[in-house]
Amino acid sequence: MKHELNLPVMEKDVEKLKIGDIVYLDGVLITARDQVHKRIMDYIKEGKELPDTFKDLKGSAIYHCGPIIKESGGKYQVISGGPTTSQRMDALENQVVQALGVKFVIGKGGMKNLDTTGNKVVYLSYAGGCGAIINKKIEEIVNVEWKDLGTCEAVWFIKVKEFGPLIVSQDTSGNSLYK
Amino acid sequence: MATIQSDLEKKIEQALIGTIKRTTTRAPLELKNSLQKVVKEEESDLAIEQLNLMLENFEYGEEKEIPTCQDTGVLNFFITLGNKFPIISNFREVINSAVDAATKLIPLRGNSVDPITNENPENNLGANVPPIYLSISENSSNLKITVLPKGGGAENISKLFMLNPSSGLEVFQREIVKVIKEAGGMPCPPVILGIGIGGDATTCMKLAKEALLRPLNQRHSRKDIAKIEIELMEKINNLDIGVMGLGGKVTCLDVHVEVAMRHPASFPVGLIVQCYAHRWASFEMNEKGDIIDEA
Repeated sequence: MKHELNLPVMEKDVEKLKIGDIVYLDGVLITARDQVHKRIMDYIKEGKELPDTFKDLKGSAIYHCGPIIKESGGKYQVISGGPTTSQRMDALENQVVQALGVKFVIGKGGMKNLDTTGNKVVYLSYAGGCGAIINKKIEEIVNVEWKDLGTCEAVWFIKVKEFGPLIVSQDTSGNSLYK
Repeated sequence: MATIQSDLEKKIEQALIGTIKRTTTRAPLELKNSLQKVVKEEESDLAIEQLNLMLENFEYGEEKEIPTCQDTGVLNFFITLGNKFPIISNFREVINSAVDAATKLIPLRGNSVDPITNENPENNLGANVPPIYLSISENSSNLKITVLPKGGGAENISKLFMLNPSSGLEVFQREIVKVIKEAGGMPCPPVILGIGIGGDATTCMKLAKEALLRPLNQRHSRKDIAKIEIELMEKINNLDIGVMGLGGKVTCLDVHVEVAMRHPASFPVGLIVQCYAHRWASFEMNEKGDIIDEA
């Protein structure tokens, strides 16, 4: 089944999604990979407030991605931005999902310990290596946080249009397409 | 960075920049053909949907001249230097200069991170990178350089096995299948495996990496080794990992095995895993610096 969804979504929207469904997303999501997960965990441990811009992420999506970004005249542009391997973030993801209140985790390869049932979150997979074609789906970069982590590791706030096909690979009933 | 002096070095640098651009922004025809063949063989709708997106992505990257995958990898340089090619003493500098220029021009992702400080100079340079492999070819006055971008997702599955000589030959296939099974979708299957059997720890890993450069679907000239390649491919394709780990008939596009004589006490096996987006490009020039072949 095919779904076109606008970010942010409500819990009831993700509960409808079943493994094997195809999703296309509109709205603003963020990139977050290894170092962002580590820093969010550090903030939680130290009781530090996350940046204000993270408060708008409730019901949105985090995308495991380290894009190639081009900067010209103070504007940023995604050159290529396919997914990275999600499993590396596995040990930290449940807490990060709870801290941000996101309803989607997008990446490749799946996550063994992501509690999709408890967190009411859906794991969406995007075909690995498909970094160039994503340009057709990106409207603009609207913000960036933690740029000190480097271009590949920073939090890029990306406005997408019909971002997909994203495959529902782990759903809120606890089903998974991964063996 | 040291400046490049001679005309010949400048020609090598320009050829390298072009080759880095080709390998990061397009896929070799043999790879696209292999993936198209998988589309025909696959029965899983999800596998076919993803393969079509992958093929469309290759076309789009080539058309727009942008990296097909955001992970432009660690650029591995394989130099085959003719023994009659004019002496180049500073290959490292010529390659570094080309990598620096290509990173800005294409652009590439900065993929060199200091392992201690986490600093990323965003130029793909720094301590002991990029890796350069040099071999000398006899009675040749040409220079050939192949560039292989190696992404992190697949590389993370690579492994060295130091097995017992009395059981190594028996168990190594099982060990490799186990690694690929546990990896699931992580290395971006359908994968290509480079395997080095024998030698010592470094030799088998180097052989495994070099094995990736053999054309797809080409079997080893030794029949007993070709048999191992076919057996491993069948075992891996029976795992039902499929495209990106979402199930299907094809998990492995090819297996290339190379061998070296081993020490009586050792049975080393090196495994280098490559993602489906197996990109490489090369150029060959004569002693005057004229390009005589490009791939």
